[in-house]
Amino acid sequence: MSLTLYGQKLDSRLLIGSALYPSPEIMKQAIIASGSQVITLSLKRQNPAEKSGQKIWQYLQSIVKQVDGYLLPNTAGCKTAKEAVTLAKMSKEIFQTDWIKLEVIGDDYNLQPDPIELLNATEQLLNDGFKVLPYCTDDLVLCQRLYDLGCQVIMPWASPIGTGKGLMNPYNLETIRLRLPQATLILDAGIGKPSDACLAMEMGYDGVLLNSAIALADNPILMAKAFSQALQAGEQGYIAGIMEQRQTAHPSTPTLDTPFWHQQ
Amino acid sequence: MNIHINGQSYSLNHESKITVSAALALYFIEPQQSTFAVAVNGDFVSREDYENTHVINGDSIDVLLPIQGG
Repeated sequence: MSLTLYGQKLDSRLLIGSALYPSPEIMKQAIIASGSQVITLSLKRQNPAEKSGQKIWQYLQSIVKQVDGYLLPNTAGCKTAKEAVTLAKMSKEIFQTDWIKLEVIGDDYNLQPDPIELLNATEQLLNDGFKVLPYCTDDLVLCQRLYDLGCQVIMPWASPIGTGKGLMNPYNLETIRLRLPQATLILDAGIGKPSDACLAMEMGYDGVLLNSAIALADNPILMAKAFSQALQAGEQGYIAGIMEQRQTAHPSTPTLDTPFWHQQ
Repeated sequence: MNIHINGQSYSLNHESKITVSAALALYFIEPQQSTFAVAVNGDFVSREDYENTHVINGDSIDVLLPIQGG
């Protein structure tokens, strides 16, 4: 169940968000239950004199330490390459990591990434030494371009952020896996239920990044466990080799000496 | 001159420019004890450059802190 991101070996293939939980304590318990060692977070305008921002930051730090994990800052809210590059640099100074989950949004309605700004930002950040994990659409050519620029990790969406609609276009996602066998592929956004994550792993994806599906569950801690198990099941299914689909029925029970059989 | 910090306007009648450090002091106290990062007019300014980077009339400073995110 190990995953390697930019040379960093991790025990879990699940990357988890830190937003939307009913309480900080439930967030903590859910992250621990998920087994994830990569926790996403963000930056926003706040006055440091208001201690709430410092408090949640200290709390997240303690969770990361407890799970022996890593922070993955995102560039949520950015709409241009310039904004994303600036936010990545600010994140690097605060979080002391060169990992960045690169989000550059092109449409407010479905929060769809802007592929042109994303490529532009990716190129700049890679040149600046960042290890870029780009959040992108399930477009093969875009993923190929990101890989060619030097992204070892690519994160196509399953469906728009926070929708829980699952894998909108399995064909596209399977094609990306098939055509980019060397890339580390993380399915990011739109996952709604554990079987979505399982399906991604059965396709040969390397991991899944999600937030809402766990945080908004009636019982986030139990859902975190469910996702952990779903990823394991999907990965093992992929490794075991899934049978070919067949067009017609084939009896599972041997037909030789079938009871009550009569020659027609 | 007028500057903006996180969208909040500050009027400084006797200066034509001030350092980022001085500007941050308008916004909050004890910056050395806080975790934050700064951009001026959308460009990142590293912590070690607060003293030698100046803001002038119309400039805008963003002060960002960690929050939960997906």
